[in-house]
Amino acid sequence: MSYLSILNLAAPETIMVMTALAVLAADLLFMRELERGTRQLIGAMIGCAGCLAAVAWMLVLPLPEPGSLMQGLFLVDPLIRIVKVALLALTIFTVLISMEADFTQHIGEYFALILFAAIGMMFLVSTEDILMIFISLELTSLSLYILTAFNKRNIKSAEAALKYFLFGGMAAAFTLFGLSLLYGISGSTNLAEIAKAVSGKSVNGLDPLLIAAIVLTVIGFGFKVAAVPFHLWAPDAYEGAPIPSAAFIASGSKVASFFVFAKVMMIGFKGAEGSGSLQAWMPGWVPTLAVVAAASMVLGNLAAIAQSSVRRLLAYSAIAHAGYVLLAVMAVPSPLAPHTSPLGPLVYYVITYGLTTLGAFAVVSNVQQRTGGDRLSDFAGLARRAPLLSFCMLIFMLSLAGIPPLAGFFGKFYVFTAALSSGGKSLGLLWLVILAVAMSAVSLYYYLLVLKQIYIMPSTDQDTPRPLSIGSQAIVFALAALVLILGCAPGLILEPVMSAIKVAGL
Amino acid sequence: MTIGLNHYLVVSIMLFCVGLFGVIVRRNLLVIYMGLELMLNAANLALVAFSRFNDNLDGQVFVFFIITVAAAEVAVGLALIVALYRKRQTVHAEDLTTLRL
Repeated sequence: MSYLSILNLAAPETIMVMTALAVLAADLLFMRELERGTRQLIGAMIGCAGCLAAVAWMLVLPLPEPGSLMQGLFLVDPLIRIVKVALLALTIFTVLISMEADFTQHIGEYFALILFAAIGMMFLVSTEDILMIFISLELTSLSLYILTAFNKRNIKSAEAALKYFLFGGMAAAFTLFGLSLLYGISGSTNLAEIAKAVSGKSVNGLDPLLIAAIVLTVIGFGFKVAAVPFHLWAPDAYEGAPIPSAAFIASGSKVASFFVFAKVMMIGFKGAEGSGSLQAWMPGWVPTLAVVAAASMVLGNLAAIAQSSVRRLLAYSAIAHAGYVLLAVMAVPSPLAPHTSPLGPLVYYVITYGLTTLGAFAVVSNVQQRTGGDRLSDFAGLARRAPLLSFCMLIFMLSLAGIPPLAGFFGKFYVFTAALSSGGKSLGLLWLVILAVAMSAVSLYYYLLVLKQIYIMPSTDQDTPRPLSIGSQAIVFALAALVLILGCAPGLILEPVMSAIKVAGL
Repeated sequence: MTIGLNHYLVVSIMLFCVGLFGVIVRRNLLVIYMGLELMLNAANLALVAFSRFNDNLDGQVFVFFIITVAAAEVAVGLALIVALYRKRQTVHAEDLTTLRL
């Protein structure tokens, strides 16, 4: 394989690396003298241009032969492309949200780190090799830690970053130890090779080494996707981080982590599924995830009710949503219905969820710029001051709660259907789906609490607030429109994803 | 007695547990970092041992990458401690109490 074809396969990532370096260089060499606003505008423009170029490369140019480099170290297929395009779209929106931010003078570094995190996510979704998974996971995480600490004036920012770092570092060590055991079992770093060894080991009962590997890997990825009991960093990071960073952690990083989590479980641990059905409980990774998912849904939704900060509320809602998405990860196609891959619902769910949270964070950012806080009471009377913004928040909150015809409803619908159909006629995961539906009803309560503040409570601030900029409102409208359109026409994502899954043979 | 794979694994698991214990119990952030490093190095030891007994070199290549990543991780971690210290004049985990419910 020549270098030119390697470059052809990895072109989007190459473009992104060049863009990140260009942002750094431009800020360092030419823009020291300019005002902060101008530097921010130029940096964001370069970043967006790079992301758009990478998207255009993937959408416009025909797909090169779906290929892999060095035995699965780097893969390109239509499904991965779709996820990458979604990641880049989320990156673009994050960059646009950060244009309004005024917490730092280090513009070049900030945008470059967002782009580096995005590069890490892109590599993360396009590999089936545990070495690459670990390295790109760390590239993403390290960039996100720094992004969390970026507001040096705010005392909360450094503390949140440190907590995120400590939990993340521990998660990385757990993941790594699990992956090293997998390497030991199979003698290979490739997921497909690992699967062969795993299914050989699990013929008569599970090997203790394999059980340890499953548990350690689940712990590691559980931290990454903020599932209970590994969720402790999420509320602090969401509250303390600068808003664009928090939005990126909540959206882009979740999309990439869930995709690779599902891939590791479905491909790497194929043959060690076990069973999570209540009647026929069998050890394996499905029951492990079932417990984690149930705990996430219950604790996330109940703890969210007690929050008074909207960002913490979004964090606990993210924990609850992690529980729902894990349902899709568990929905392994049964031998009876092999053509219903749960990856389709999963990808649809995480993409629409990412867009919705990003939008909610954009609204919070707007409110915080005007009132200086993100408490629930800061939202009081928002409908009178900014009716359009409030309507967008209404869309985001109802979508998160899963009200039709918004994207969140169809995401949940497809995920629950996939979980139900996975066990064939026995409906093994029925208890989890029932729990998930009940918990969705609970979640409606705290989303409505936010809306009650916005639409019913009288406004509390006396002084005339700063007017909203057109740009930041436009981003919110665009995101709200996307949530609405994807809800009305879920096929826009689902159909390409399904045909891509058929091509990939997953 | 010949030293087999299991001996290496036991040592590696013990290292991992010592590291984890340090992270959970110790209060000084710098010592917690040492615990994290110990956990990563436990994985390194396991990988090298597996590599030796599986007769392929993938594991050792993996270790080189991990050492590099661990160095980057410490750099970021120390930078975060410095950022916190400038604000708070503390490196103790129990002082991280600004963010509460």
